[in-house]
Amino acid sequence: MKAVLIVYNQALTDVMMDILDKQSLRGFTQWDITKGRGSENGEPHYGNHTWPSKNIATLVITEEKRVEPLLTKLRELNSQTEEQGTRAFVWSIEGGM
Amino acid sequence: MKIYETSVRKPISTILIFLGVIVFGIYSVRTLSVDMYPEMDMPAITVLTTYTGANAADIETNISRILEDNLNTVDNLKKITSKSSDNISVVSLEFEWGSDLDAASNDIRDVIGRVETLLPDDAERPTIFKFSSSMVPVMVLYATATTSYDALYKILDDRLVNTLNRVPGVGAVSMMGANEREIQVNVDPKIMEGYNLTVEQIGQIISSENLDLPGGNLDIGTQTLNIRAKGEFESANDLRNIVVANRNGSQIYLPEVAEIKDTLKKTTIDERVNSKLGVRIIVQKQSGANSVSIAKDVGKMLPIIQKQLPPDIEIGTIVDLSESIQDSISSLTETIMFAFLFVAIVVLFFLGRWRATVIIVITIPVSLIVSFIYLKISGSTLNIISLSSLSIAIGMVVDDAIVVLENITKHIERGSSPKEAAIYATNEVWLAVIATTLVVIAVFMPLTMLTGMAGIMFRELGWIISLVTLVSTIAAITLTPMLSSMMLRFQKTKSYKGLGILFRPIDKFLDALDNAYANSLNWVIKHRSLVIILAVGIFAGSIVIFKQVPSEFFPKTDDGRINAAVKLDLGASVDYSMNTARLIDSIMLNKYPEISVVSTSTGAADGSNTFAAMQGNTGSHIINYTLRVPTKPARDRSIFEIGDSLRADFSRIPEVVDYTVTTGGSGPGGTEADIVVKVFGQDMIEADRVANIIKDAVSTIPGAVDVNLSRDDLRREFRINFDRKKLGYHGLTTAQVAMAVRNRINGLTASKFREDGDEYDIVVRYAEPFRTSVEEVENILIYNAMGQPLRVKDVASINEEYAPPTIERENRERVVGVNITLSGAALSTVVGEINEKLANIDIPEGLNVVIGGSYEDQQESFQDMITLLILIIILVYIVMATQFESFAMPFIILFSLPFAFSGVFIALWLSNTSLSIIALIGAIMLVGIVVKNGIVMVDFINLLRERGLGLGQAVVNAGRSRLRPVLMTTMTTILGMVPMAIGFGEGAEMWQPMGIAVIGGLAFSSVLTLYVIPVVYTIFGTRSLKKVRRKNERNFS
Repeated sequence: MKAVLIVYNQALTDVMMDILDKQSLRGFTQWDITKGRGSENGEPHYGNHTWPSKNIATLVITEEKRVEPLLTKLRELNSQTEEQGTRAFVWSIEGGM
Repeated sequence: MKIYETSVRKPISTILIFLGVIVFGIYSVRTLSVDMYPEMDMPAITVLTTYTGANAADIETNISRILEDNLNTVDNLKKITSKSSDNISVVSLEFEWGSDLDAASNDIRDVIGRVETLLPDDAERPTIFKFSSSMVPVMVLYATATTSYDALYKILDDRLVNTLNRVPGVGAVSMMGANEREIQVNVDPKIMEGYNLTVEQIGQIISSENLDLPGGNLDIGTQTLNIRAKGEFESANDLRNIVVANRNGSQIYLPEVAEIKDTLKKTTIDERVNSKLGVRIIVQKQSGANSVSIAKDVGKMLPIIQKQLPPDIEIGTIVDLSESIQDSISSLTETIMFAFLFVAIVVLFFLGRWRATVIIVITIPVSLIVSFIYLKISGSTLNIISLSSLSIAIGMVVDDAIVVLENITKHIERGSSPKEAAIYATNEVWLAVIATTLVVIAVFMPLTMLTGMAGIMFRELGWIISLVTLVSTIAAITLTPMLSSMMLRFQKTKSYKGLGILFRPIDKFLDALDNAYANSLNWVIKHRSLVIILAVGIFAGSIVIFKQVPSEFFPKTDDGRINAAVKLDLGASVDYSMNTARLIDSIMLNKYPEISVVSTSTGAADGSNTFAAMQGNTGSHIINYTLRVPTKPARDRSIFEIGDSLRADFSRIPEVVDYTVTTGGSGPGGTEADIVVKVFGQDMIEADRVANIIKDAVSTIPGAVDVNLSRDDLRREFRINFDRKKLGYHGLTTAQVAMAVRNRINGLTASKFREDGDEYDIVVRYAEPFRTSVEEVENILIYNAMGQPLRVKDVASINEEYAPPTIERENRERVVGVNITLSGAALSTVVGEINEKLANIDIPEGLNVVIGGSYEDQQESFQDMITLLILIIILVYIVMATQFESFAMPFIILFSLPFAFSGVFIALWLSNTSLSIIALIGAIMLVGIVVKNGIVMVDFINLLRERGLGLGQAVVNAGRSRLRPVLMTTMTTILGMVPMAIGFGEGAEMWQPMGIAVIGGLAFSSVLTLYVIPVVYTIFGTRSLKKVRRKNERNFS
């Protein structure tokens, strides 16, 4: 099992839901308003007057084989909307219930 | 869910809600009445008392003073003035604006009830008049006649007045100048003396002969029948059979002692239309009725009525208020359409996208239409104030939508779907948008608190602009995102396809403009002191210019109305005055092709005609003119030019002593002369002398025309001075003798003759040949209680004396006014010169000279406006300080204000326009617009600094990025005002100064603020940077 943390601009909410649905990824956990900034460039997302945009973090736990197709879709999206700075991180899950 | 999210997610609801508003708005427009100005209750009440036969001095002592002294206690009273002239006393009470006039009129009624016993018995009960705009005649018609002239009153009363009274909305229809029928019993004093008869006895006999009396019931058999004494005259001939006395067994009939005439009252007024004998018919509306529809209905009825009249009677229109209303309204509608078009062009120019432009422009009708709903609910009308407010607002309502749309476009360009972009982009800016709206409301809401004349003009403007801006903001955060989500498409780069090709050069130009501005800004912030010195220099220079700009109250408008009053030698009889009137008539009709109808009224209507009494200056030596000229585009000369030319013609006629030509209205309700120099003082002769000196001095001032005194010269009259000892000896009282004289000369109304439901006076008096000399009066025979005959000269002497024809009082002090009309000169200039002249005039003790008239109102209103301006600046400061959470930032923005005012002064000076109250309102509006631009600038500099940019870079980058929004909102406002500033159509002069002031102020200040605000920001910024550094050093070292 793998965990995929997707962090994206809230303006992409509907697109992201669409991707998850199309990949038949039913389960996820979402943090509605999260803040953050990129390591190299890109605008910070603070949700304040100076940096008004906000991020959403979605954590998807799924089988390993389904991770790559998801990442491909996310890369595709990011290449179209580079300025939004969508990021995804994958790590292993040791167990659960 | 936030409101903008809801609206994007539920487009159908959003569209339908706005559609509902629009439908309700359209319904409101269709049912709104149309009028010139908002309904205004002038806070004035007039108490009118007639006392026939009394001269001005009698009226003053016996009526005006008693009323004044007692009415002075009424609450909220601001000023009490009175005018006592022959037969009539007019006491006017002016209240503080906003006082409850119903309560005031009740108070007045109480006072009158209390003092009624103190007034002379013969004086009629004082009547109370409350002024309102509905009293202004909606229409003035005329009817001329030749052969049917004698019967004109009756014919018109039956066929015209009664018909017009039935028109819905018509309040009153009155006739002026028609002669009423009167049955005259003109006695011969010589014969009367022979039979020992008196006028009173004859009156008594006539009254007891002209009688119908029910005598009770008679039971005859099974029936009950009424019995009636029937003595009422059936025709004037019945008077001939009256027996007035029995002498030596023979009966003496009335015709033996008197001549009986069924005729018309002796004319005291001669009404002519285009030199033909006629009458004026005045149509007043009910309060709240629609003037335009009344005029339309009346216009439709006139041809029908005309058909029913004898062929020699011709009816037509002298004044039709609805004409100028309709012209003004349609020219304003045109102005609004042009403003709309200009704004759309500006938006398209800057955005370069059709769809975006449609989204923005759609907010204009949506927001504007709400004002109609407001007007409907508040019971107001579609008038020039409400429509002008709309044309002012047009450029401002798109601002918020532009900000929102710009951000949405940015998000879409970054790759969001239009729907999400619409939601999140609105989320980012909605608070800023509301803050700028608050600034606008902080500027316009205080206008709703104005009082006085300015209050009438600007209360509605304040409400409408506040409301419309508020709605435009709501539309910007609901309708605009919704429409954007539906209509905008993702475009990575702009395509210049099809018609879009037009935008390529425009975009290139705008890019070049951005760069040029950024470069110049870069240079400017490195030369701060130079910019500051230059800016202060420009402001100082504009102050010098400001001193050159004259001021006035309201701009004079060419509303196509000319009135003139021509005074002849005092004491001239109506017949004499009529000759001169005919001469002037022919000059007007022949020399002035513009004048289509000349309505002339020579002399004064008698006391019973209250409308005439309200009209002010009348008298047997005064000729009043009302002229009809076509509305503005249909004639070459303005009414002011025609007025000047008329003045020149009047001054060439030797019989004319004085004249006043009134051209156009200066704002609503203004009736007083432009400037009145008031001389207060009890001593009338001294006051007259000083007033005449002032008159002569003032007449030499260029631009001061029609200079005349409010009081005529003293007039010759005969006075009966009683010898009380002799009166006492003969057992007579002053009242008895005075009454006897009055009954013989003025006449005794013995009874009423009834015919066809109308009543006519039967008046007994001396026949005319016995009323032509003082001797006749001296020889009047009176019988005392013992039945002994006495002549007036036995108990009194008749002397020739001089008396003032009118006595005016203000705040219970006698006053003479020197009335001055302005032509081609500004109020402030002339007042300045008058003050210079007054300084050289020696004013004796006991007299007091004050400058009043429109000038007084202007001073009051200007004071109000300045207070308001300060209040608005404080409010705006508060709004900004809370938004920035800083004391200093608002100051940076307020630095741009002086330049806005510089711009106003320069624009007024260049366009040779005076600083009127309208221009001042323009200046006040500028506060909102200029500050809005400032906020946009400073807010973005702050943003960039917080994003970590250096001071200089932040300023330059912010400048580059905010240049377009600032230019765009400025251009929309400026171009929205252009139609107003050019001023075409009827009544456009009114708003022209505002257009000029806003355009000048905005153009000038935007250019300057684009440089001055960044410079001031860097000055403040450097200081605060240093402060932070010092603080950090102290804390951590």
